Amino acid sequence: MHPSDMTAGDGRSRSYAARLISDWHMGDRSRLAQLLIIVLVVIAALMFSASIMTGAADASLGNVLRWLLGMEGAEQVLSVRDRIIILDIRLPRAVLGMLVGASLAVSGAVMQGLFRNPLADPGLVGVSSGASLGAVLLIVLGSTFFGPLFAVFGFYALPVAAFSGGLVTTLLLYKIATRSGQTSVATMLLAGIALGALAGAVTGVLIFMADDKQLRDLTFWGLGSLAGANWMKILSAGPIILVSLAVVPFLARGLNALTLGEAAAFHMGIPVQRLKNIAIVSVAASTGASVAVSGGIGFVGIVVPHVLRMLIGPDHRYLLPASALLGGTLLIFADMIARTIVPPAELPIGIITAFAGAPFFLWILLRGRSHMGL
Amino acid sequence: MIKATNLSVRLSGKPVLHGVSIEAEAGQLTAIVGPNGSGKTTSLKAIAGELPYDGTVSINGHNIVTLKPWELALKRAVLPQSTVISFPFTVREIVRMGLSVGAKADAGETDRIARDALEAVDLSGFAGRFYQELSGGEQQRVQLARALCQIWEPVQHGEPAFLLLDEPVSSLDIRHQLTIMRLARNFCERGGGVIAIMHDLNLTAMFADRMIMMKAGRVHATGHPNDVMTDAVMEAVFGCAMRVNTTPVSNTPFVLPHTAAH
Repeated sequence: MHPSDMTAGDGRSRSYAARLISDWHMGDRSRLAQLLIIVLVVIAALMFSASIMTGAADASLGNVLRWLLGMEGAEQVLSVRDRIIILDIRLPRAVLGMLVGASLAVSGAVMQGLFRNPLADPGLVGVSSGASLGAVLLIVLGSTFFGPLFAVFGFYALPVAAFSGGLVTTLLLYKIATRSGQTSVATMLLAGIALGALAGAVTGVLIFMADDKQLRDLTFWGLGSLAGANWMKILSAGPIILVSLAVVPFLARGLNALTLGEAAAFHMGIPVQRLKNIAIVSVAASTGASVAVSGGIGFVGIVVPHVLRMLIGPDHRYLLPASALLGGTLLIFADMIARTIVPPAELPIGIITAFAGAPFFLWILLRGRSHMGL
Repeated sequence: MIKATNLSVRLSGKPVLHGVSIEAEAGQLTAIVGPNGSGKTTSLKAIAGELPYDGTVSINGHNIVTLKPWELALKRAVLPQSTVISFPFTVREIVRMGLSVGAKADAGETDRIARDALEAVDLSGFAGRFYQELSGGEQQRVQLARALCQIWEPVQHGEPAFLLLDEPVSSLDIRHQLTIMRLARNFCERGGGVIAIMHDLNLTAMFADRMIMMKAGRVHATGHPNDVMTDAVMEAVFGCAMRVNTTPVSNTPFVLPHTAAH
């Protein structure tokens, strides 16, 4: 979007555009980043509304708003059935899509900052597999071994189990891939594959033990889907995701400094160990919560931050909020495709993101090989 | 002043430093020289506080282990040997990272400091370039500008700040070697202190107030370049007999590899 489209075409808008361009030439992309974040807020709002209106039942935004605001005349245009569809199916689905998409994209961006590499992603390096293992453990063995967990955490038990799985995997990965402050990318990716495979194997054993009902749940959940979205899921995962999202902006300056290496970040006054601890826990928490409610949805965490870095640069002060907005928007969009492409059935959303994300990932690899230490 | 007393460091179990003591006064350029593997970089890293050591390091009387990372960052800035980054930051964004330490003035002021720092390292006009696309020598100068921004005032609240430079001129052409050494001298003249690891003995002799000659994890000789750069020290430290000479007017010592005896 050209900046002059934002305001009326007077002298002020031209000077804004001129400043934008001169900033860019001077290597300052903060004004551009701020503009993009505003644009993303608008797009996210539009996509959210579109998602609520898309589907078999007819519900225009005007009618939905009129009804939600309790205005007159809405009783006639929205039937009870439509209201239930919107309030209990589409709205939670859009909210969950926004939360999960934001969480996946921000986790990806934070993890990439932590490992100082654009290829790190919770899905790719086994963190999601670890989180899945935690969740599957709970689903299959829950009633037998984890009774007390349910008693203590209630419906938070599943996100907490997934969080624990994700945390253990992230810590292991960091320990394995980092020697005296230097993270080896090759070790990280290979160790991630090994840890993911191990978690997958244990998950396989659990699936082998599962009964028919558990099996059906697990298969669908593993492919990644927003289909089961409901307010209960939002209540269980939402707070964890929101707390993680609220914490990461405080990591932005530290993650920027970390780009120059752990020693350099320390020289610049960053308490590096504390930064790493907070980053690891927040990535594990939001990945765990996302996996618990929607299974493994791949590639959002790698594609979204990468596209944004190309547009506004890697400054985490802008990259993190922009990732949250674009991640949520894209996931809602992918979900709209998932539920309309083969009506009346639904594709798991993980299939859509993989179809779009995997070729993109290969393209990043081929394009940026020299910069990534591969 | 920076005072490192009796530093011993082990790297993966192997002793690298054996009781090294180094002092660097404010207003002086202190150069650490010595053969490869003699412990120069390890000493600097210990002084910077980035690796565990036995002994004590104090800066302006404060033991560095008692300072928070952000307090330390206002008293000293560090230029590492080389910095590889994997994200597409512009030169300006890298330099401004140095300015995000502590509470600095308004945006206009930080812009001016970033511009002045780039000018000081002869990189005016490079602000909009991508760091990853620069040559090694240019990248090193960007990092120096970033470190300079961090302690832009050589004296803050009456306390001198220190620049710790690990081979600041190793990948630079001769003109920029002089630019950077003059910059370091200027920082000292304005009240700050500099510790620089150097390889070029002649350049060191031109600019250093004090020279610390290291050998095998110990300080072999320390003092004014005229006292440290002697035939005897050269042979004892580098294992290579060379004639040290002095320039006619300024009496600065220099050594040419041509004089090496086999």
